[in-house]
Amino acid sequence: MSLLGTSEEKPAKFWAFIAPSEPIAPNVQNAEWPVNPIDNFILDRIERAGHGPSEKAEPRKLVRRAYLDLLGIPPTTEQLNSYLENKDPNAWSQLIEELLSSPMYGERWGRHWLDVARYSDSNGMDENIAHPEAYRYRNYVINSFNQDKPFNQFIVEQIAGDLLPAEDSDKQREQTIAAGFLSVGPKMLACDDPDKMRRDIADEQIDTTGRAFMGMTFGCARCHDHKFDPISIEDYYGLAGIFMSTKTLNKYSVVAQLHHHDLSTEEDKERRNKITQLEKKISTKGIEEDTKKKLQDEVSKLKKDLTPPYEVLAVTEYPTKDVRVHLRGDYQTLGDTVPRRLPPAIAGQIQHPMPNDQSGRLEFARSIASEKNPLTARVLVNRLWRWHFGRGIVPTPDNYGTLGEKPTHPELLDYLALEFIHSNWSIKSMHRLIMKSATYQQSAFTDDSLKKADPDNQLFARWKIRRLESEALRDSILFKANLMDLKMGNSMLTASKHKYANRGKLSEHIKSNKRTVYLPVMRSSGYDGQNAFDFPDPAMINGNRNSSTIAPQALYLMNSPLIHRSSNSLAKIHKEATTNVSISNKINWMILHILSRPATETETLRIEKFIHTYSTDNEIAAWAAFARTLFASNEFLYIE
Amino acid sequence: MELCLNRQPRPLSRRDMLRGSSIGFGALALNSMLTTESPSATLSPSIAKAKRVIFLFMHGGPSTLDLFDPKESLKKNNGKPLPYDKPRIVSSKTGNLLASPWNFKQYGQSGAWVSELLPNISSITDDLCFLHSMHCSNSRHGGALLELHTGSDTFTRPAMGSWINYGLGSENNNLPGFITINPPSSHGGSGAWSSAFLPPRYGGTMIRGNSKEMKIPFINNPLTDRSKQRKEIDLLNALNQEHLTKHKFNSDLESRIESYELAFRMQMTAPGIQDISAEPAHINKLYGSDEKPTAEFAKQCIMARRLSESGVRFVQVTHRYWDSHGNLRAEHEKLSKEMDKPVAGLITDLKQRGLLDDTLVLWGGEFGRTPVAQGNNGRDHNPHGFTMFMAGGGTKSGIQYGSTDDYGYHAEKNPIHFHDLHATILGLMGINHTELTYRYAGRDFRLTDVHGKVIKDVIA
Repeated sequence: MSLLGTSEEKPAKFWAFIAPSEPIAPNVQNAEWPVNPIDNFILDRIERAGHGPSEKAEPRKLVRRAYLDLLGIPPTTEQLNSYLENKDPNAWSQLIEELLSSPMYGERWGRHWLDVARYSDSNGMDENIAHPEAYRYRNYVINSFNQDKPFNQFIVEQIAGDLLPAEDSDKQREQTIAAGFLSVGPKMLACDDPDKMRRDIADEQIDTTGRAFMGMTFGCARCHDHKFDPISIEDYYGLAGIFMSTKTLNKYSVVAQLHHHDLSTEEDKERRNKITQLEKKISTKGIEEDTKKKLQDEVSKLKKDLTPPYEVLAVTEYPTKDVRVHLRGDYQTLGDTVPRRLPPAIAGQIQHPMPNDQSGRLEFARSIASEKNPLTARVLVNRLWRWHFGRGIVPTPDNYGTLGEKPTHPELLDYLALEFIHSNWSIKSMHRLIMKSATYQQSAFTDDSLKKADPDNQLFARWKIRRLESEALRDSILFKANLMDLKMGNSMLTASKHKYANRGKLSEHIKSNKRTVYLPVMRSSGYDGQNAFDFPDPAMINGNRNSSTIAPQALYLMNSPLIHRSSNSLAKIHKEATTNVSISNKINWMILHILSRPATETETLRIEKFIHTYSTDNEIAAWAAFARTLFASNEFLYIE
Repeated sequence: MELCLNRQPRPLSRRDMLRGSSIGFGALALNSMLTTESPSATLSPSIAKAKRVIFLFMHGGPSTLDLFDPKESLKKNNGKPLPYDKPRIVSSKTGNLLASPWNFKQYGQSGAWVSELLPNISSITDDLCFLHSMHCSNSRHGGALLELHTGSDTFTRPAMGSWINYGLGSENNNLPGFITINPPSSHGGSGAWSSAFLPPRYGGTMIRGNSKEMKIPFINNPLTDRSKQRKEIDLLNALNQEHLTKHKFNSDLESRIESYELAFRMQMTAPGIQDISAEPAHINKLYGSDEKPTAEFAKQCIMARRLSESGVRFVQVTHRYWDSHGNLRAEHEKLSKEMDKPVAGLITDLKQRGLLDDTLVLWGGEFGRTPVAQGNNGRDHNPHGFTMFMAGGGTKSGIQYGSTDDYGYHAEKNPIHFHDLHATILGLMGINHTELTYRYAGRDFRLTDVHGKVIKDVIA
């Protein structure tokens, strides 16, 4: 059965609502340059603008770019050399495969998705309640990227994983955890008006789902027909019925509590039931001492080695209910009832009615994940492009509506979207395709006329350098100081569910040597250093992080405990690694280690002077200061 | 040409900007440093009096019925039921009317009523502009606090300090444009000083700690010898300059080089401003930083003045915690004592320095409290009618605008919603609130959303 429209539906005019069609890769003058069709689309524009592509970047720059881009940390000197020494013509492909199979890949690219999922380990907003079980969703995202889970499956699991059939309990857990996507959003939890609270939560879920997967701003239609996009107020309340039939909270009175699933094993559940029964018996009046003792023994036996309940933060179902249109968004001024349904602009005019025994989330999820949905594949490939290049083909990755910007390369976008669908929605296939292109391998050094003509790099005629994100920066420093703990993280929260998140612990969390993705994200709070480097507000989806240059970043790199701890640690490693070598070799070691290139002659002289004059009695302090300087340098901070 | 599809203007490099600007580098804001993003709002600086704001936030919701809004009917009907229905949505169960336990008198030429709890503020009423008809939409701390700070109790939105910082930029190269001193960590937390979807440089910088040690994050260099750090920055500059020769026309790289110099200067400037121990004895006496109950908040108010006079656009100080559900008499007495002298001292000090003319002081909480009792010595949250006051910054002084009903429950005459307050504050700063917009998620957002009217009657 198809939920999608037939020929009777009115054609949507705006480009984003027209399904992608197979574009033909254009012929180009410089026919030698293209490696794959991406390059034809890119070069065609470059040539038409009267320019040429940039040269291929030098190998050591490419290695560093690939490591930082895919793993979020620079290569070690050994890794760098092993690539430079590999004379196999497939060396670049081999490197990409190696990086894609590293578990660090999911930690890097899963974090990109967590920006879109507005992931947080606490509620923020008015009552900052802890989400001690949310980390399961975070780790699910990281694992899904590492497994290259087909993205259409990833979509359905996140919107309706709790409703999917599961062959075993592990699968059931995984799918239910995925539906935490809908639960981790920000909510006003202390509201004296439970009706408003329910509607606001549904609204947040509709808006996030629409923007994350389809770049659609459904939220605008809560009060009136969307002014720019083909979404009517009825369409909105058709979706609202689906989310109002979805249960996110257990209790709406102040302070409201989030729903959790207990997915403990049957055996554990039985044991817990039995304990409850026995404890009830023990506390009955007039129980004989002997019996009591026996029962108590039995209880302590049952309690031994009993694992804590396996709780999952995720939505579940309510009895289904269609809702009435709220005129001007006010739930006290109601219009007609709208049956639960999907917006015709994405699912067509003719739709099967929604089931009576389910909210319709599963139908919504499948319609988003359908290859016939004109938006979904385009939105995701554009996100990947944005995260690789720092700029999307559609420069507004979270908004494909009329007020978003149009694609600079519409045919390329369609080509990538269809390739993505043909590859069974494999994200790793897209990385291979993109990174093997000549476009990706261009140098950042290019002639001035191109930079002047195209400062934003809309033509993609060069590599535009971009600053490391806050996590990649912290991880790179810890990694280079040999301090990083590479094991996957669990929850660091100490607060239990329904209790307030403890902000006081943030200063403890940040001392951890785990990768930054594993530090708890707290809404309406956060780590000063991470915030300074544009860590986005986790209350809002963000597929296009800011990259600012502000003085607090400089203060962080000059004065933070991280930078001093790391540079001191590295100075000690450096000392051991460079005994009995000349000072110029010592300098070279450090530059190679941090910047993945040998030192130049001029800088060697300059640094030698620096080391000698920095401190007369404490050489290790001078080397630490030198390491600090390199960590703060533009060459370290930017992906080149 | 294809490139025309894109709406963004070509970013200027720093050099372009300096060349094109007659004001030169010194006038560029620290946080908006070297960026080309400028708001679309029309500024009318000729009308604007206020250049900066100091917001004295009374967290928890002070009972303004017991401070500034005496009611004869409430006094007469003490213990009787409220003669009309209570609101549909309330946060706690309440009983009958509770008269104010404190006496009121009129003060100054303006004849403003102030209770005996505030002997110092009552002496400066002719400098104040009372807003007796405030109201908001949310009956809980978190919701109302966010509504007061951001205009929304539903979504994450930029704080008013961020909007003002975005609209006007900083006056000082060496300090952030929006600083909040010891803000509440609960009830919205950084939501109350966040830039939300505005570029992060417009967000608030939090100064933590107690009055002994209030400081900007990472401002202290762990190396005791500043000349050592100078050497590091000199080496860094050399490395970065070398790198820049290979990456011409990149304004990010250029501005980052400058950012280290700014940070270094900030490190030298900020501790001076943060060090309030240099204040003379008469100032300490004026604010009450020399005696027990007032010292803590007084020091924060002095810090606020120092930051403000150094050019920080928006400074917030928080005093807490006014949430007297059960112990109104003792709590409000204690809190008033802590707050009264420092607030009056700050306004007097600003006036003496000639700063009050262009500094807008705002005093108030996220809501007021009910005229009906909770238990026998408490009041519940009341978002329907309460008092705030402003001083300086182009407001009319010695006036009382608006009023609540006979019992002080609802704003009755000339009601002022938080949206109207925001519109008025922006207006006082020369910004038309309907024109200060930022495009996000497909629409142009404002501090006042689709609401807000400027209260012209309070503008001088």
